[in-house]
Amino acid sequence: MKITRRSLLRGLGGLSALHLAGWPIAGNAGPKGARAQARLVAVFLRGGLDGLAAVPAVGDPHWEHARAGLARTVETIGAPRPLDGLFALDPRLRSLHAMYTRDELAIVHACALPYRERSHFDAQDLLESGGTRPFAQRDGFLARGLASQPAIALAPVLPLSLRGSVRADSWSPSSLEAPSDTLLDAASGMYEGDDLFGATVAGARAARDVAGAHEGRRNADTSFPALAKAAAAFLSRPLGPRVAVLDHGGFDSHSLQDQAYGGLDRSLRALDAGLGALRVGLGERWQHTIVVVTTEFGRTVAMNGSGGTDHGTASTAFVLGGAVAGGRVLSDWPGLAAHALHEGRDLRPTTDLRAVWKGILGEHMGVSPEALGRTVFPGSTDIAPLTGLVRA
Amino acid sequence: MQTPDATQPAVQAVLATQRFGLGARPGENRAIAGDPRGWLRAQTVPEMELPTPLASLPATGEDLWAFFGALFDIGRKTRRARRRDEPIPDGDLAFERHFAPRYQAALHARLSVAAETDTPFRERLIHFWANHFTISSARPVTIALPPSFERDVVRPHVMGRFEDMLGASTRHPGMLLYLDNERNLGPNSHRAENPERRGLIPIDPATGLNENLAREILELHTLGVDGGYSQQDVTRFAMTLSGWRIRVRPFFRSRHDGADLVRFDAKSHEPGAQTVLGTVYAQENGAQAEAVLHDLVRHPATARFIAQKLVRHFVADVPPEPAVARIAQVFRESEGDLAEVSRALVELPEAWQRPSKLRRPEELVIAGARAVPGSLAAGPDLVQTLTEMGQRPQWAPSPAGFPDVASEWRGGDALWKRLAWAQAAAADSADAFGGPNDVLTRAADVLGPYLGDRTRRALGAAPPTTALAALLSSPEFQRR
Repeated sequence: MKITRRSLLRGLGGLSALHLAGWPIAGNAGPKGARAQARLVAVFLRGGLDGLAAVPAVGDPHWEHARAGLARTVETIGAPRPLDGLFALDPRLRSLHAMYTRDELAIVHACALPYRERSHFDAQDLLESGGTRPFAQRDGFLARGLASQPAIALAPVLPLSLRGSVRADSWSPSSLEAPSDTLLDAASGMYEGDDLFGATVAGARAARDVAGAHEGRRNADTSFPALAKAAAAFLSRPLGPRVAVLDHGGFDSHSLQDQAYGGLDRSLRALDAGLGALRVGLGERWQHTIVVVTTEFGRTVAMNGSGGTDHGTASTAFVLGGAVAGGRVLSDWPGLAAHALHEGRDLRPTTDLRAVWKGILGEHMGVSPEALGRTVFPGSTDIAPLTGLVRA
Repeated sequence: MQTPDATQPAVQAVLATQRFGLGARPGENRAIAGDPRGWLRAQTVPEMELPTPLASLPATGEDLWAFFGALFDIGRKTRRARRRDEPIPDGDLAFERHFAPRYQAALHARLSVAAETDTPFRERLIHFWANHFTISSARPVTIALPPSFERDVVRPHVMGRFEDMLGASTRHPGMLLYLDNERNLGPNSHRAENPERRGLIPIDPATGLNENLAREILELHTLGVDGGYSQQDVTRFAMTLSGWRIRVRPFFRSRHDGADLVRFDAKSHEPGAQTVLGTVYAQENGAQAEAVLHDLVRHPATARFIAQKLVRHFVADVPPEPAVARIAQVFRESEGDLAEVSRALVELPEAWQRPSKLRRPEELVIAGARAVPGSLAAGPDLVQTLTEMGQRPQWAPSPAGFPDVASEWRGGDALWKRLAWAQAAAADSADAFGGPNDVLTRAADVLGPYLGDRTRRALGAAPPTTALAALLSSPEFQRR
């Protein structure tokens, strides 16, 4: 039998792969007890999720007026499912609804970044950097908060949120044959001392071995559900990463968001399928997992002339997982009356998105309040963490 | 390793093809060694004739027609499915399938022009400006339009005036659709007040104004995000832009290009004067936005923003300030003469140093195709490969285009895919390298004195296929 790299690693039980990646092997430093089990998944929704589409405020007296196109939406998509007196959930978010009824989903409504402009470019930077001024922060808040935790981004490139972490890597499906050992060895030789590639070869090798099953397929599937499934596989490895980061795009619904074939329709369905897949894929680990789903900004309260909504301010965040104290919508609801809107057009933010993250990073991942206020979210000491999202 | 002497013409030739060009073709460095700077300067003239592979691509009108045809088709299928209570077909996927062959053909044309051109500096700039004025196939509505946008807007003006390129971009059907100006209706316009007057795309006049194009022109095309404009400026500028729309009728008939497909629709335009960045624009109709664009080109923030991007692209991820200041000055003083700006880039001392920029995925693939002629056609499926490397060409995730800094794509997975590409490309092209030292000879030809000892050793020790894969993977080849 020809000894290949893979068979060799299989023989070693995969441990050497993780060792190569610099991940801790049993006995190494790392959080103990329940914290060691904790898994965190960050999902960034790109384009600005319309929080009022995902979680409509059907009980608000101004709802009907604010979303005059609602009747047509219900006709094409179905009626929202009631959560409490005020809020409902878009009928396409079926798995999320099931989690809500199991108390595994908490929704934070009317939350936003500390950013009041409406540029995707800037807002996505802040969403991942954790800064308050676009492009002022060159690394990511997850990297700063969880520098000692192995992390994986399900993306072709390392996202900003993890940039700066020495223990983060990225992975996404490849349809090409894996580089041969000969080439990898040649590369290791050529890259020795190289500032960009020097340390990367070993890490790349290791990540591939963990995700080996996905490799070399034609038309590698990069849909959100497929990546979510892969994320669950990474997080389920006993010594694998504890943090996963995923992107999901297509929420910039300037038009036709009330149509069953519009882009938002596709994105919401994929979101729900992916989050459902995470739960299934994580198995028992789901009990120790929290998934935080956030977006760069919300959208205008009123629909525009194209059946869509334009860039706005506050949106919703979803916090789900077996470790979540869910089954509720947390919101200091600002209301949809014209005078209550931000700049007369957007849902007014009443919760800072950083408070949500601070609550999760503190209670679930054990990041200290000091670090949260100063380094993870610089200059945010006056933003109190949103506590109680994590099951006691 | 010794640092090659960058005052030597042979060294400068390599820097010219690597740093300013798209990577050397075999013999190219030798051919231009007499006057590398002159070779670059000679490329700063307008293109006389469209390269053959691009000439046969569909006209913009055909692309639009194909789009609307697909739209109707999907609408019909959706209605039918709803009637029969069947699952609604996935519109975006249907679009992608519909346009996949067109996209493949257009991308192959783009890459083969880049692989074969004798004017790679100008071609680099064309790619740069196409990325600057991104319209992306990632939005279904513009899925078919980036190739014709590049041809209609970028190529004719790459050595012309920035103002003309900006104007052509703003009025191209691709940009009008990508950034929603088709739906930008003045709140007090005739159409807003007469709801029965609707275009092909339904517009509800109650909330017509759409700021997308105005915002991105300010943020991404001219002033830059720190350019000192306010939300009020965006809104007012959007009002001046209301009325620029695509023309529906002509492309139902035959081949048409850019200008024929756009009209100024006075009935959609917001009447009255607008104040943008402190200047009052009292012009009527289309002249109003033209006047704003004219002033934006001459705004100092625009010169700086463009200079930063150019220097970041050609010199370093963190653009050195003196170089930025120099290019900004030339941009300002020439009022955006892009040939002069391009020549000023050639004169930057900061650019004539060891290649340090990591090649973007598409740049890497192009450099490979130039170093190993024939490898483009023989190699792996490049759409798939580049998608997996995170930068599917003309499919940028946002109007900001693809980032131009290595930190965006240098993770372990990116490296893995670069190696996988190198291996696949080498496997398909190694036949051309028979002798034991052929690959090493090619490496020296393309990389010149920048070919390092480690790489030399790796290539010398390996059989041709592995050696070629190693050349394409080498740190020297990964940079420009």
